[in-house]
Amino acid sequence: MATQHSRAAARLMISPSVILLLGWMLIPLGLTLYFSFLRYNLLMPGANPFVGWENYSYFLSDPAFKAAIVNTLLLVVGVLVITVVGGTLLAILLDQAMWGQGIVRILVIAPFFVMPTVSALVWKNMFMNPVNGLFAHLAKFLGLPPFDFFAAAPLASIIGIVSWQWLPFATLILLTAMQSLDSERLEAAEMDGAGPLSRFWYMVLPHLSRAITVVILIQTIFLLSVFAEILVTTNGGPGNASTNLTYLVYAESLLRFDVGTGSAGGVVAIILANIVAIFLMRMIGKNLDA
Amino acid sequence: MARAITPQRKALNTAIAWTFGIMIFFPILWTVLTSFKTEAQAIADPPVFLFFNWTTENYTTVLERSNYFRHFWNSVVISVGSTVLGLIIAVPAAWAMAFVPGKRTKDVLMWMLSTKMLPPVGVLVPIYLIFRDIGLLDTKTGLVIVLTLINLPIIVWMLYTYFKEIPVDILEAARMDGASLRNEVTYVLLPMAVPGIASTMLLNIILAWNEAFWTLNLTAAKAAPLTAFIASYSSPEGLFYAKLSAASTMAIAPILIMGWFSQKQLVRGLTFGAVK
Repeated sequence: MATQHSRAAARLMISPSVILLLGWMLIPLGLTLYFSFLRYNLLMPGANPFVGWENYSYFLSDPAFKAAIVNTLLLVVGVLVITVVGGTLLAILLDQAMWGQGIVRILVIAPFFVMPTVSALVWKNMFMNPVNGLFAHLAKFLGLPPFDFFAAAPLASIIGIVSWQWLPFATLILLTAMQSLDSERLEAAEMDGAGPLSRFWYMVLPHLSRAITVVILIQTIFLLSVFAEILVTTNGGPGNASTNLTYLVYAESLLRFDVGTGSAGGVVAIILANIVAIFLMRMIGKNLDA
Repeated sequence: MARAITPQRKALNTAIAWTFGIMIFFPILWTVLTSFKTEAQAIADPPVFLFFNWTTENYTTVLERSNYFRHFWNSVVISVGSTVLGLIIAVPAAWAMAFVPGKRTKDVLMWMLSTKMLPPVGVLVPIYLIFRDIGLLDTKTGLVIVLTLINLPIIVWMLYTYFKEIPVDILEAARMDGASLRNEVTYVLLPMAVPGIASTMLLNIILAWNEAFWTLNLTAAKAAPLTAFIASYSSPEGLFYAKLSAASTMAIAPILIMGWFSQKQLVRGLTFGAVK
């Protein structure tokens, strides 16, 4: 059906998107790469000499970098574990027969639509504040000393907040996958004497495995770039206790105005994200064929 | 349901599910409730839940004292503007890829998706410097451009998955029946494409409304949308819980309502069709 003529028209229709995205990718990427080899500080005007790998060796040997890598991994893995385990359990729960299923679903999904700055500030002030927060009131009621979340466990507190934001996403996707599970097969297995645990392990989990993989990969992309939650709660502190790679690069380039080092950090972040992206792209690409 | 479920079992499911649902929703509920309290009641110990003197003074204060409407308007302009602009660019592309697929269509789609994997912080410095030099820092135009570009792959992808489901046979049937190209587009294609375009638009407005990396880094006072305005409450003076709650409630309410309407499309849009 596709004639020469329609092919040409199609190419014309696709090209604006392609050209824009190509420009959006290549120009900043090229500049980041270029800046990363310069001694370039916004506070020191003048020539920006070429310094080779100096920015990289400075960025990579900075103790803050090691801390940021560890924090990034803890943040990503922590949130993934909480949301995938919690999401699977919630999806199974929401898939059961009940009254008001639609309303419960709406309640569970809601946090996903709350903007990151709002959820971080609400949690920080109204729940985790050691004097006026609800958790402090609760601790007092139980006779426990109040817990200063962002001083004593800054990263764990941020993991908690981010998990609350992403739990709905995991739940929604896994619930969608659950609903395509053949319930008659499950019932047949039950009649054949398979207990709930073995039904979960041998039937539900394998069925969900694909959706779980998608959840893990997509969340990882976003979790590597968590920024607003850190900015409004801890500013990466105390010290570097809650600085992730994204926040560190932001601090180098826009707080310390060190464009060279910030760019080198940006390149490192791109490389890390690409490793995850390759796996995700394979998954989605496979689906495109099917 | 092939098998009847006992009412006891159903009641138990209901109780457990509602408990978890309310727990997860509670921070939002608490924010809305607090927005109607006085500042003293907002930090009262023990906390007051429903029985307090409901007041709307926080809303008036927030609206009077800050440029709330300006930030709200900025959010509207940025999220709707970037979505509409994105659709204008993406609809032809998705259309062509769905109906006139070539050998490299799949590669182009995958490549577009790969641009979305680029961590924003990797291009923060050049974008910031370019915007500074051409005067786009702290402007709505600048943010519309950035958000259009970062969401373009998602828009193309969502539209593509919707358009691909439109049966091509119908087009041919219409043509056989003697429909002109114009009639074909107006009466056959558009009605089938509109729902897909609408849900793409909805999801994308939500994503753009809540975007908080570029909006925080590229704006100051003038063009700041609600994400950045709310962030200014992170270093407040005096009692502010009730006012924070009022500002937050107004910032999330429109999107929460839109989000509830779009929950079905959400899965598809955010997993690029990998989970249906």
